[in-house]
Amino acid sequence: MDKIIARKRWFFLFSLLLTIPGLAFIAATPLTSGDVGLKFSVEFTGGTVWEFKLEESSEPAIIRDAVVAVGHPEAQVTEGEGGFLLLRTKSLDLQSGSAPDPSQPAGAELAEIRDAIVAAAGPIAEEGSLSTVGPVISQDLTQQALLLVVLGSLGIVFWMTYRFRNVRFGAAALVALLHDVIVTVGFFAVAGTFFNIEIDALFITAMLTIIGFSVHDTIVVFDRVRENVARYAGAPFAEIVNHSIVQTMGRSLNTTVTVLIPLLALLVFAGGSIRTFVLALFVGILSGTYSSIFNASPLLVWWEERVTARKSSPSARRTA
Amino acid sequence: MRKYTPYMILAIGLLALAIDLLPNLRLPDSRAPEGSRLIETKLGLDLRGGLRVEYQVQPVGDVVATPADVATIRDIIERRVNSTGVAEPLVQTQGSDRIIVELPGVSDPDAIRALLGTTGRLDFVPLPPETYGSVDIATGQPIQGTKPVPGQGALLDDATLTPLFSGDQIASSSVSTDDVGQRVVAFTLKPEGADLFATYTGANLGSYFAIVIDGTVVSAPYIQSAITGGEGQISGGGGAGFAFEEANSLVTILKFGSLPFPIAEVGVTDVKATLGAAFLGQALFAGAVGILLVFLFMLLHYRLAGAVASVALIFYVIIVLAIFRLVPVTLTLAGIAGFVLSIGMAVDANILIFERTKEELRIGKGIVPAVEAGFSRAWNSILDSNVSSLITAFILFYFGSSTIKGFALVLIIGVLCSLFTAVTVTRLILRSVIARKRFSSPYLYGVAKGDLDTLDRGVING
Repeated sequence: MDKIIARKRWFFLFSLLLTIPGLAFIAATPLTSGDVGLKFSVEFTGGTVWEFKLEESSEPAIIRDAVVAVGHPEAQVTEGEGGFLLLRTKSLDLQSGSAPDPSQPAGAELAEIRDAIVAAAGPIAEEGSLSTVGPVISQDLTQQALLLVVLGSLGIVFWMTYRFRNVRFGAAALVALLHDVIVTVGFFAVAGTFFNIEIDALFITAMLTIIGFSVHDTIVVFDRVRENVARYAGAPFAEIVNHSIVQTMGRSLNTTVTVLIPLLALLVFAGGSIRTFVLALFVGILSGTYSSIFNASPLLVWWEERVTARKSSPSARRTA
Repeated sequence: MRKYTPYMILAIGLLALAIDLLPNLRLPDSRAPEGSRLIETKLGLDLRGGLRVEYQVQPVGDVVATPADVATIRDIIERRVNSTGVAEPLVQTQGSDRIIVELPGVSDPDAIRALLGTTGRLDFVPLPPETYGSVDIATGQPIQGTKPVPGQGALLDDATLTPLFSGDQIASSSVSTDDVGQRVVAFTLKPEGADLFATYTGANLGSYFAIVIDGTVVSAPYIQSAITGGEGQISGGGGAGFAFEEANSLVTILKFGSLPFPIAEVGVTDVKATLGAAFLGQALFAGAVGILLVFLFMLLHYRLAGAVASVALIFYVIIVLAIFRLVPVTLTLAGIAGFVLSIGMAVDANILIFERTKEELRIGKGIVPAVEAGFSRAWNSILDSNVSSLITAFILFYFGSSTIKGFALVLIIGVLCSLFTAVTVTRLILRSVIARKRFSSPYLYGVAKGDLDTLDRGVING
């Protein structure tokens, strides 16, 4: 416990091992046009998702063939929760009031697909949700995601810098929260590659919540550092920071546990559209605690050591 | 002032409990039709089922709709929605060009979408006999023009044609039947339109004219006699006449007027009610389990102080639910997740306070000064943490789409309330608890027996 700062390089290395594969998978998303990396829901890509349950269970492949046969080669069928099947196609039935086509009343395309499925796999027992997102919304959403993450990070950095009257504290907090964002997005890039887990509009909300929450533990440690710097004036900065981390370790872990417990309950018992959302929060908050203790505070020390080294040996630097 | 704080907090708690539990409470609301609205927990469409359509207002040529136009469109759509009798519809604008319609419990989403999405521009277009031919009134013989008379459902895209007048000249309309018993839409024209119609029909006996909605021909009869009374009817549906819903939709559209700009659907979601109810049950169960586990954790770790925090947490839940009902906050699945998350965050402030109190107890402070120091020294961290959560929540609320806004609002309310309950309420209860001698043992606040006065001496040699 008393060597957290002394071993800071190992903790930085561990963070690199966490973030670099994640970044690689994130970067692979555009490079492999979506085969590897993040899987986006229709909210980002545009399209229709329809949930339904058949009276007699059937193979997704049979249903897909039936839908492809009525003119939807892009159709995908997967098994969802509770015996429901999920059909994904391009956007169906979006209407424009400016030029209604009388031969295509609302719901005509879906009706055609529904008939094809019934003909191939028997009657439909229950219809769940039907969701169609046009290209306009999906474009909005992608821009919104980036804007929100940038704004959120800036907001937090300014607040930290203002409260601690020191840009180093703000910068260290920024590195820690970017770490958490990368770990979480990277986690979903890996999960998307191997388990086809999709990220949706709520994922953006999770990112912002993580950004806001990730600094909670950082703030607690930094507050203690500030207090201890005043109390033990003259003591080596590295020792003060290490001592502060040790002193606040208990509350950092406990505050994380009390947030993770309800999230775990949601993850286990609640289903539907928030599963990914809750998982993202879980991963991000876990990462937030790690980065607060093992990245943000050691970074303060690292920065301090750089500055001191430069001040104490200006000539050595110049000649080097 | 401090003397009255306990009573004020008690009063707030009781008031919140009443708002949570009593049915049929009403709140004055100038926008509601009865001048007040029922206080209830509003559930989003994902939990109660229903139809949600997002429209984008389309420009006409280079002309873009102004905010006033968008507001007009919203009003017209709302009137069309109300005419269908759907309970508790929500029609609102979002951003500069979006209109969101939320309709809980809709049985026929396709029909409603057809009604709402129609621009509803009705034109009476004379078809010149030189091009489209005419009918000899005396003999009943058709005279061929260079183009066929457009039939029902045809698109009328002849740029040389100009309407005689439009739907804004219609004073009233109703579903009716014609001489042969087919369903038609009867209409009465305003004086100006009636004059135009009388003059035109009197001078052009035998010519065709088309009744066109949004560029599509509904019917194109020929003029058999001058129509002078300003009354007429629209027949449609081919040989069989209008279906009842079709005729009703047309009357609705004529009654509330056409949209100044066309709209296009950019997103549609339809959730079945049974699915939503199942999700709601699961989420509530998960929330209850989560709260109980947090209670357990706090009791094990902080003992008596943990019990106090649990009471404050119950207080928190009561107050937040009351605010949700008062505002009202529409709870979606994400919103409930936000609420459950906020429960975990609400005890964080208590943990910071209690850990600090433990530290003060370990260096040998008495219970009363230790608790007071716990509150005052933890305050900075608590405030900074909550403000950082508020910063991101406000960004979400300001820039997010409606689902995201709902979650953000839950988080904002949760953070603000938790500042009140976790600090003020906990402090109040704890102060009255520590005033009693038998509650003064540090053990009751989570300090281990052998832990006293082992503090940090020696760790820093400064």
